[in-house]
Formats: sequence, C-alpha cells, structure tokens
Amino acid sequence: MMKHSKILMTALCSSLAAFCAASAAAESKGPVTDDIGVLVIPKGAPVQLGGYWVMSGADSALGIDEKRGVEIAIKDQGGTLVGHPIKLNVEDDGCNAEGGQTAATKLAANPNTAIVLGPACSSAATAGAPILWKAGITDIATATTAPKLTAADRKPEYDGFMRTVYSDIDQGASDAKYVHDVLKAQKIVTIHDGSPYAQQLATVMGDNFKKLGGTVLSQEAVAPTDVDMHPVLTRIATEKPDVIYAPVFVAAGAQLLRQEKETPGLEKVPLIGSSGQMAPDLIEAAGDAVVGYKITYPDVSPEAMGSGYPKFVDEYKAAYGEAPISGFHANAYDAAELAIKAIEKVAKTDASGSTYIGRKALRDAVLTIKFEGVSGPIACDEHGQCAKFKPAVYEFTNSDPKTFKIGVNPKKIWP
Amino acid sequence: MTDVARGRTLIPKLRSLSRFTFVDVVLWALRISVLMVVVGGSVGTLIKGRYGAVQWLEFLTFGVTMGSLYALVALGYTMVYGVLRLINFAHGDIMMTGAFSGYFVASALAGRGFLDRDPVLAMLAIMAVAVTTSTTIALLTERLAYRPFRHVRGLAPLICAIGVSFFLEQTFRGAFGAGVRAYPDPKWQKGAISVLGYAVPILQIMVVAAALVSMAILYLIVQRTKMGTAMRAVSEDAEAASLMGIDVDKVIAFTFALGGAMAGIAGVCYAFIFKQVYFYMGFTPGIKAFGAAVLGGIGSVPGAMLGGLFLGIVESVGPALFLDGIGIPAPYQLRDLIAFILLIMVLIFRPYGILGERMAKKRA
Amino acid sequence: MSAAAVDLAERVPPGNRSLFRRALRVGLILGVVAIYGATIGILPLMDARWVIVDMVSLGDAALIAIGLSAGVLIAARTRSLEFWPLVPPSLVAGGVAGGLLALLALAMQAFPLRQIFIALSPGLLKSLTFGLGASRGGAVLIVAGASLAVLGAALTRAPEGLRKPAAAGLAFVIVFGVFQELIQIMMQSGGAIDALRQSIYTWEGLTLAGALIIFFLASGAAFVWTGWLRGPARERFMRLSPAQKRTAKSARVVVFVLVLVLLPVVAGSYIGQVMMLVGLYILMGMGLNLEVGLAGLLDLGFVAFFAVGAYATAILTADSPHALASYTAIPSLSYWAAMPIAVLASIVVGILFGIPVLGVRGDYLAVATMGLGEIVRVVVQSDMAAPVLGGAQGILQIPKPRIGGFELADPVHLFYLTLAASAVAAYFAWRLENSRLGRAWMAIRDDEDVAQGLGVNLVKVKLLAYGLGAAFAGLAGSIFAVMLTSVYPSSFQLLVSINVLALIIVGGMGSLPGVMVGSLALVGLPELLREFGEFRFLFYGAALIIMMRVRPEGLWPSATRRRELRDEAGEAALGELEGTATRPAPRAPDLQDTEP
Repeated sequence: MMKHSKILMTALCSSLAAFCAASAAAESKGPVTDDIGVLVIPKGAPVQLGGYWVMSGADSALGIDEKRGVEIAIKDQGGTLVGHPIKLNVEDDGCNAEGGQTAATKLAANPNTAIVLGPACSSAATAGAPILWKAGITDIATATTAPKLTAADRKPEYDGFMRTVYSDIDQGASDAKYVHDVLKAQKIVTIHDGSPYAQQLATVMGDNFKKLGGTVLSQEAVAPTDVDMHPVLTRIATEKPDVIYAPVFVAAGAQLLRQEKETPGLEKVPLIGSSGQMAPDLIEAAGDAVVGYKITYPDVSPEAMGSGYPKFVDEYKAAYGEAPISGFHANAYDAAELAIKAIEKVAKTDASGSTYIGRKALRDAVLTIKFEGVSGPIACDEHGQCAKFKPAVYEFTNSDPKTFKIGVNPKKIWP
Repeated sequence: MTDVARGRTLIPKLRSLSRFTFVDVVLWALRISVLMVVVGGSVGTLIKGRYGAVQWLEFLTFGVTMGSLYALVALGYTMVYGVLRLINFAHGDIMMTGAFSGYFVASALAGRGFLDRDPVLAMLAIMAVAVTTSTTIALLTERLAYRPFRHVRGLAPLICAIGVSFFLEQTFRGAFGAGVRAYPDPKWQKGAISVLGYAVPILQIMVVAAALVSMAILYLIVQRTKMGTAMRAVSEDAEAASLMGIDVDKVIAFTFALGGAMAGIAGVCYAFIFKQVYFYMGFTPGIKAFGAAVLGGIGSVPGAMLGGLFLGIVESVGPALFLDGIGIPAPYQLRDLIAFILLIMVLIFRPYGILGERMAKKRA
Repeated sequence: MSAAAVDLAERVPPGNRSLFRRALRVGLILGVVAIYGATIGILPLMDARWVIVDMVSLGDAALIAIGLSAGVLIAARTRSLEFWPLVPPSLVAGGVAGGLLALLALAMQAFPLRQIFIALSPGLLKSLTFGLGASRGGAVLIVAGASLAVLGAALTRAPEGLRKPAAAGLAFVIVFGVFQELIQIMMQSGGAIDALRQSIYTWEGLTLAGALIIFFLASGAAFVWTGWLRGPARERFMRLSPAQKRTAKSARVVVFVLVLVLLPVVAGSYIGQVMMLVGLYILMGMGLNLEVGLAGLLDLGFVAFFAVGAYATAILTADSPHALASYTAIPSLSYWAAMPIAVLASIVVGILFGIPVLGVRGDYLAVATMGLGEIVRVVVQSDMAAPVLGGAQGILQIPKPRIGGFELADPVHLFYLTLAASAVAAYFAWRLENSRLGRAWMAIRDDEDVAQGLGVNLVKVKLLAYGLGAAFAGLAGSIFAVMLTSVYPSSFQLLVSINVLALIIVGGMGSLPGVMVGSLALVGLPELLREFGEFRFLFYGAALIIMMRVRPEGLWPSATRRRELRDEAGEAALGELEGTATRPAPRAPDLQDTEP
C-alpha cells in the first residue's frame, strides 16, 4: 500500500500542475474575437445544440414533451442553421441535482456544443447551469421556475442562464390574487408534498395571500408516496378553511381530490391545484372526483398565446401521434427559437465555409432579442427572465382520460 | 423454548456485557424521550381540544382500515419468515403484482358495466386473477431465487430478496409504464352504513371483513390441516421434519403460495381503497407490514393481525395525538417516522413481539 | 458464462435427458428472455442506440447475441469436442428461440397488446420482423435463430487461436460503437487522432468501414498476443520466484490504479465526473465493507451517515441563510476545516445509531438500520427541521474547496480530491483489516457468542464498526456536497444504501479491489449508459441474483473470502477463477492463514 500511496501522490501532483494552467483570456479565431471563447464549426459539420431534460421516471412526460417542442422548432427552421445541419444532443438529468450535473458536464465536455436548452427541473438547473457557463455555454431553460435562478442577487456563475418560462414568484402572486379576489377566500390552508417545486409555490402563495389581507391557517405537508390523506384532511377540516391550496403533483393530488370528498366538513371546500397536475394522468388517477376540479396554470388559450400556437399544436400532433403530453412544450419551442435567432445574429462564416461563434456575444445576443413566441412575448431582462406569467385557471369537465385536451378538458374559466 | 429463553435473557445480557454504562443510559434515554413525546404530545393535543370525539372516531376508523391492509400483507410475511427465516423483501412487490393484474380485469369489467350489475361475480373475478398472478409470481421467485440459497448461510438470501424486489418493480414498470392507473369506482362501494350514529364507509367494512376472514382461514389451515401441521413442523426444525418424511420443498412452496395469495387479496383491497396502482406502490407498505408482523410476533397469525391493526391505528392517530400536541409544523409528513420508530423500538426492546410465539433465530 | 454452463452441465444427471430435450429447454429459456426484453421495453431502447450507424443497432446486436448463445450453451454442455453432432440440437435451440419471438410478433399483429403492454409498439414490431410483416418476419427470425445458433456452436469449437481474436474484435467494435459519443469527444484532441476519428466515425456513429477497421485492428492484436507473445510471457512468469510473482501481481494492481488515476486527464471532464461518482461510491463501499464485510453487521441505513456528512459540510460552509454562520456566532469555515468536523459528526451519529441496535441480529438488524436511515431521510426533508436543514429546498451555494488561491472547480480536480481521500481511506481500511480490531470483527461476523466467549468486547467492537464505517460515508458525503454545491434531501434515499451494498456484493465483500470493480460496474457503467437509466435497477436486481448464484464471492474477491465460501459450498471446482486478488504486501498471519 505504501508503494501505491507514493505513486498516487506523484500522479496527483503532476496532474494538478497540468490543471493549473488558467483558461485563455480573450480569444480570437477567424473573423471573431470573444472574451470567453470562439466556437469553430468547420464546413459540413453540424451545429450542435445540447439539451437536458428529465427523460426517465415518473416525470418523464415533462421532459419528453419539451424535447419534442425543440425538435419541432428545429424542423420549422428547416434543419439547417447558418449553413450547417442542426444536431440535437439530448441528455437525461433525472430531475435531480446529480443528474443535472452529470448531464451538464457531458454537454460541456463536448467542445462543439454551441448552446444548451433545458432543463425542466430547478434542482438540475441549479447544479448544471454553472457548469455550462464555466465552459462558456449559455443555457436557456424551458420549465424551471425556481425564483432564485433569475433573481437579482444570483451569483455570477448563473450569468449564462436564461429561461423562457415564468418564475414561481409570479405564479404564487397571481394564484394568491385569484384565491383572494375571485374566490373571496379569507382563510386558507396550503399543502405541499415535499418536492422543492410544491413547497416553494405553496410558500410564495401563502406569503402573497397574507399580504392581500388573508390568513393562512396552516401549512400542511404530506410525503410524496402517501396514499392515506384522510388524517391530514380531517385535521384541516377542524380548521374550517375557505379554500385548500395544494400545488402538488398528480399522485398526491389525485388522492387529495378523492378523499376530500369523503371527509366530513370539507365537502364544500374547493381544492385548488397547480401546474404540476396538468396531465391526462390526473384524470385517470382521480376518476369521477376530477369533474369541477380547478387548477391554476399559465394561460395557453389561443387568444393569450402567440398566434403561432395552434399551428404548433397541429404540427406536434402530426409528428408524434398524440396531443401534447405536458405543459411546457410551447416554452421549449420558444427557447429553441431564441437560441436559433441568437446564433444567426452573431455567427460569422468565412470564405472557406467555416462558421465562428463568439460565446459571450451569443449570450449577450440572447438577452437582447425580442420576439413573439408561441407561448407569448419573449423579452429577457438582464437577469435572464425572458417570459412573464399570464395567469389563468382551468377546470376539468370530464372524467374520461381520453378526452384530455388543454382548453377543452380542462377548460379555461378565468380570466 | 430456548429461543424464548434466549430472548428473555437478551436484555440482561446486554447489560452484563456492556462495560460502557453509557449504552444503558442511551437506551433509557431513548425510552424516556419517546415516552415524553407520546405523553406530552397527547396531553398537549387534548388540552388544545382541536379534535372532537367525531374526529377521533374518524382517525380510528381510518386506522383500522389501514391496519387491516397491513395485517393482510403481514400475514404473508409472517408465514414465510416462520418457515424459512427469510424476510421476503419482495413481498410488498408481490402485492403490487396482484393489484396490477386485478386492475386490468377491473377496468375491463367496469367498462362494460359489469362491475355495477353483478358485483359479487365481478369482485370474484378480479380477486381470482389477482390471486393467481401473485401466487404464480411468488412460486416462481421461490423456485428461482430462494430455493438455491436455502442452505447458504449469511447474506445471500437477503440480497436475493432485494434483487427480486427490484426485478419485479422494474419489470412491471417496463411492461406497463411508470404512470399511475386507477381502479374503477363502482357505485355500490360508495356510501356508508350507520354504526352507532356514525357513518362508516362500506368499503372500509369490506376490507376489515376481508382481513378477518383471511386470517380465520389461514389460522384454520395452519392449525387444523395436515399441510398446516407440516408447515409448523418445518418452521420448528426443518431437518427433523424431513427426517419424519415431510417433503420440505413442497411445504415451503405451499407456504409461499399461501403468502402470495394473501398478498394478492391485500393488493386488490388496497387498490380499491386507494385507487391508484403503480409499479412502486408495494415497497413502503411492504416494509411497514413487516414492522407490523414483528410487532405482533413473527410467526404468529393472530399476531400479524394484531400488529397490523396496532400499526395502522398508531399511524393514523399518531401525528394528531402526539406531534400536534408538541407543536410540530406539518406533522403528517412525519407519519412514516412514527411507523419506523415503532418498528425500531420493537426490534430493540421486544423482538418477539406482542404475542411472541417465536423469536427471530440468529441467522448467521 | 462458461462457469455457469459447466455448473449447469454438472447438474444435469447424465443420460437422463437427450440432447434434443436439452436443446428444446435452452431454446425455450432464451426465447422467453427475448420476449421479456421486448415486453419490458429494453429492446426498443436498445434499438435506438447504434453500434454500426444505420445498420446494426444495439437491439439487433442483443438478438444476435441471443442466437449465438443458443449454440454456445449447447456446445458448452456437451463433452465431445466434435462439431457436426452439435448441428441438429443447435438448429433446434436457435429455431425455438427465434420461433418464440416470431410468436410474439404474430401476437402483436393479431391482438391489440399495446393497450396492456405499452412497450409492444408498432415500431417494435417493425424492427423485430425487419419490416417484412409478422408471418414472413417470423420465418426470418426462426431461420436466423437457427443459423446463429449453429454459428455459435461453431465458434466454441473453433481453434483457440481463431476464437479469442474474433471475440476481442467483436468486443472492441461494440465498445467503439455503443460509446461513440464519448470516444469521439476523447479523440478530438490532436491532429493524427482526429484524422483517425474521422475515418471511422460520422457524427452519428460508427460507420461500416470504421467497424471493419476496428475489428481487424483488435483481432489482429489479439491474434498476435495469443499466438506469439502470450506463451513466452507465461513461461517467464512461471520462472519467477514467489516473491517476484507477488511483486508482479501487485504491479498489476498498481497499473490498474494508475489507469484509473490518469484516465480523466486523457478523457476529459465528463469521464472525470463519472469517475468522481465512482470514487465516492468506492469510499462508501469501503466504509460499508468494514461493517458488512468484516464485522457482519448488515447496515441498510448507511445513507444516513452520508447525509450527515453532506449536511454538516453544508451548514458549516454554505453561503446561505441556513448556514450556521448566518444565525450563530460560528464563522463560516473553509472546506478543509469543515471536512474533519463533518467526519466527526458522522462518527458520532454512527455510534449513536449503533447503540440501540447492539442487541439486534441478522435480518432484523437490516430492517432496523433501514428504519434508522429512513428516519434521517424523513427528518431532513421535513418542514419541522427546515429552519436548520433547509427542508425540501435544501441548502444551496456551498463553495468549492480552495487550496491557497486555487479553486477546485473542475470535476477532474474534485476527482483527484476524491482519489486522495480514497487512498487515505483505503490505507486505513487495509490497516484495520489486518489489525486486532479487524480480526475481532471477523470473529463476531462468524459467531458472536463464541467471540464473546473468547474475550471480545462486543459493545466496543460493534460501535467501532459503526463509527468507522460512518466516518467513510461522512467523508464521501462532504465531498458530495461540494461536488454539487448544494444538498437536496432527495439525494439521500434508501436506494443509495442498497447501491453501496450491491456493489460490495458484486465486487467482493471484504476486498478493496473488489469495491473498486463493483463500483465501476454498478455505478460507472450505468452513468455511461444513461439512457438506460431506468433499467439500471433491473440490472441491479438481476445482477444481485445472478452473482449470488454464479459467483457469490464477487468479481474480485479477497483470498480469505473465497476460501471461506469454497469450504462452505464444498466445491473444489471454483479453481477457474482468474485474477485472484492478493494483499499488496505480506500481512501478519492470522488464524485462517493456510496459504504462504
């Protein structure tokens, strides 16, 4: 073992020395000079876009849906960009931090990655975005809503992170407004299921509700695998709330929905859910109890969305044989559009057909581009927040899972 | 007899072998802190007076329902452990296989309206399919994954059990998808019967009845039939039993089949109450059911029933009674905590359970 | 594979079954395996990965492998060395396997199986039947199965000089095809290597030409090795003295470790990241090895100590409202100060966990410790502990360690940190194994009562096992925290404990090189094959069961363990084992030492 330690020590020192070489300052290749680095795409080689979403596990519908949105954007572009074919490299981040880090490292290790789209989960982005930005790669997220990621006090390692989706701060505020002003509730109870998304949203909504003058009687929590909600609902019944706000995911949400009806004292108390439940699975899991169930969700009705949305949905159906399976496909499409426009803006091709893209210039371009996306107007503030939340409330009308269609079942009831 | 005696001397042995008195101190500190939480919490809750008699009754009935489900699963565990000295980690997943296969039948029947028209026949059909599936899978796992290791000491059987558990879960996930399926909601299962002025849902009565009936049948089989006697003989001493001419392989297979059948029934009942089936649904109930089996006395059929009911009631009443009283926010998140602490306390302080017929023999 | 085949052959009573029935059985089993792979969705997933771009997918390769193995199994079971008698049974075996798949295809076409079994999609039907429709495709499957089986039998009977190079060539083609992304990234470094890369790869994967080049290069090298170089090398090895032999064997270990160490330098930061995860699991494996492998204490709550180390580091160093620095007078520490405290905290928690369960044994201990682990998981996620531990949001903004002014930001840097930690830990583990404490552990693993009778203080020894095992996990946890720069409660599930247990079982309990091998196999490989991520656990489950049946001592067992298991099972025929691990330096003789 002694021999081993010595060898290991020498190896460690020599490689440490090898890594002490700092990365280059301003780099210049071809016609482009850039503070961070220049990506060179030789003639005939593809422009490589990276993507990382949750592609496996219970939330895989989220990631698959977004990947499809990006693929349609690429198709609409004709499959080529600045004279090169487009190649999309997709990684699975499993909707957790380790997965996000591994996926981001793999994408960052590929020196030809021009820009990255995704992820869907905030924990993956928290771990992955700094890694990508360290390699100079801009990350445009498609469904991560955690407020910290585009907060004014975010750390410089997130400078390369943008998103074409709203922030939980906005949704929490508008949900509170809906419950307070429209449903006229004075006392509410919030329930979350231990996931960062639900807990964050419940907290933000509760804070906003209090600011509007209401009372949050208690903040309950269930475990994500809990099936028996009767005790917690019985407890809530003793507090006599006007509304129960439960921005949880499908499994817990369906149980709450069914069992709320069986809990004495809560038969008339509305249960309000949120974006995590916009999926056909909810109808399947909740059965008859789903009729009349309201959830808050960004407004995706044709009037509120960009004019290109219906056409986008038709393309989606034609390509994949089913209606969109989750809620953020339009945001993903817009993220891809944003990336494509930014590349077109800063890429320079020389006489031999090679294209040069400055990485910092690309990031700056993303921040300055404004356009009408299919999910709404896209315009980034200096912290990377490129989309606003347009609030809406949807109500389920039919308990047959085959009739799931955003806008019909559930249908928009507000505004 | 030596087992029980050894059990009773375990705690004194622990004292005699510890030169470090802090072990004793820690154990007593554990007992006292749990007691403080239980008593202090209960007092606090009752003082607050948030819950009336109706609510406590509701907690109790949910508890009894959950408890019956745990009892059904625990029955399978306890029998297999009694005969094989093996904690079948995959037992909860066998329950899942029963629930899943029952789902396909149930949704097909409900789609044709059969479930409403002819409830008894429909339920029998669902049960039959579920029980067949779970029994078959239980027999297969015994044959392929457990039998080769019967004479191997050490960790191998446990590792295999974990492996089987993963294998079953992933097979069902791959074959049927990761999404959640829901059992149908027939009209005759809604509604309640009034008991002493309090409305008890029919479904819950059904489940409790199913658990009691299963336990009775099992008890009769174990105590009155020839096969049951053989099972008891094998669990006492397998070698002596084989010397007496008992076909040990067949007995063990029969035990597994019986356990699998119990799990299948439990799966269908579970699914009708909670409606949702998915590939991972069996794992946590499985662990808790094992806790229930140990609580009641592993190897004892009435013990499993008792342990299951106890666990279910404590889980249901516990957060409200104990944790709410000492002011913990969101106490229902910590429900699993109560179950696990109960399990650990039992394993430390009274491993032979309430009805301690058998004690866990040392495996190594 | 051959060990299992020989094993199976010995089990079949001679003369009881005809070759035909055996062939039928093999065919049925393989057919069921193929149907299983299709039904649970692994085959479609494999179809999406190319080995040779646009020609041979991984799914095709899997089916081909099944066909070949039909023949191989038949051939391996028969004693005679002739080829022609093998042809009829191989035809039967392969044909039956192909026939079962054909039945599946026909069923898929006739019934709407997709409503129940979601993986049986039209796309799968098309690829199974080569686009020819169920009946014609089925016929092709049967013929293909039969001929592949014959080919497989022929390969086993082929002269060794032909067989090994062919196998090597195939293996290299598969590796270069399946891992094309990674290898392409690695090869993008310099001019000549990049030119080679362009000749064998397109952006999508390995070309046919590239596959042929790789095949010939690899098989050529293997041919040269087997034909000319291996014999003399073996002779020279045999002529060395025992001491020199031992040096040579340990040199092999050193080379293996060196490759491990230098791999990220060559291969880039992604491999560094993967190796880093492997390294963390090696650390944890070494810790659990102390508890399970040496002391026989089955601890399924191991993840709790991992969590303690991670959270301790987080609250001591993070730049967040949950850090101790924000609400107490304790200043924010640097990583190097926080790490020992985290390890200490883990040791304390380990001992505290161990005390209640001192009297619990065997399987009950497994469940009790599992309960303890789950308790920790529920607590760190709970709202109750959220003010201190961050609750569901976790603790973020953990700074990376700094040496002087240099920040260990790259995964490769952290990999070396992990490596250094593992080296230190491995040294401790090795010394512990060969100390009195280690022997006391082995004594209580075998029989607690006897050990106590021999004067071993059970309490002290068990608590030391828990505490020291926890120390390793705490160290791993603290590195994990700075690797992710955040801790989320969802990272600390029961699965982590089971992972660690599985990898020391598969690698070889009680053996340090075994932990490395197990970690590479069970952590490294699934990371590289991430799209099969879901099936990772299927693979674990199957691997656990198969390992227990075929090779219970693990892939790289310690000498002691192998002896023990050999005695237990009463089999003398485990001598086929290759790559026996030895202690790198002579150790003090103990009671079980019968080898020089």
